[in-house]
Amino acid sequence: MIQPEELVEAEWAEWYRLTPIQRWLESEKLWQTYLALGGSLDPEPDTQSPFFDAHPPRPHPPHGRTGVRVLRRSRV
Amino acid sequence: MGGQACVFYGAAEFSRDTDLAVVADVINLARLRRALDDLQARVIAVPPFGLKYLRKGHAIHLRCRHPEALRMRIDIMSRMRGVESFSKLWQRRTTIKLPGGTTCNLLSLPDLVLAKKTQRDKDWPMIRRLVEAHYFQYRNDPNPSQIRFWLQELRTPQLLIEVAQSHANLTRYLISKRPLLAKAILGRTDELERALNREEAAERKRDRLYWLPLRKELEKLRHG
Repeated sequence: MIQPEELVEAEWAEWYRLTPIQRWLESEKLWQTYLALGGSLDPEPDTQSPFFDAHPPRPHPPHGRTGVRVLRRSRV
Repeated sequence: MGGQACVFYGAAEFSRDTDLAVVADVINLARLRRALDDLQARVIAVPPFGLKYLRKGHAIHLRCRHPEALRMRIDIMSRMRGVESFSKLWQRRTTIKLPGGTTCNLLSLPDLVLAKKTQRDKDWPMIRRLVEAHYFQYRNDPNPSQIRFWLQELRTPQLLIEVAQSHANLTRYLISKRPLLAKAILGRTDELERALNREEAAERKRDRLYWLPLRKELEKLRHG
């Protein structure tokens, strides 16, 4: 019989050996650490997702002008 | 139904949103609205919150403003390509009770695997991990449905060969549904690997075609 270590790295094999609930709890710990370190809750842009919007709407600044303008540009 | 379900079943995904599958009817949607109001959740992208869009297969994207769930993202879907109706999913769900007493209903593993057969690169290694983990967990004393599930969904050539050669009769029976099992039963690893790649490419193409009209509709909503 093929053993997990023959197919995947040791960390993965260890993960496979946890029970589903243990995996869930481990991921909760990771989540807490992530939040404690100030991790963002915004999902990473997923360009392959059918929901991906390359030009999502952005809030308009109160003064109504463009937030960022090109003031100087190199010739390159 | 998304990242946390993957973690539970043995893959590992650091998901920053919560994906919910819901039944799309008037009564349930009213209930859902109340729950989302409690979370002070607001729709943040097209399509708008509505039965019509959920029934077509769109996802509704929201962000919570409640202090205890601040900025948490929620995606809601009711229909997924290649996956059975909500009532069937509900019958087959996995219910877990967490140490704090919270109960969660997850897509069953076979349904999760089907839902993950998308056009995205990241979903395919996930499927492989999910089925591998299940195989290693149950292979010492499997029931017939589990063996059938492995033969239909394993994406690891070595394991597929192991299962196919140990259950030759069932494998032969399933060849008409999954032709690459013919390579597995003969132990042809390289050919099997290529067949698995072709199988994945065909499924990804089906997903792209399925989403074509839905993407067009989303574009119209964005710019309409």
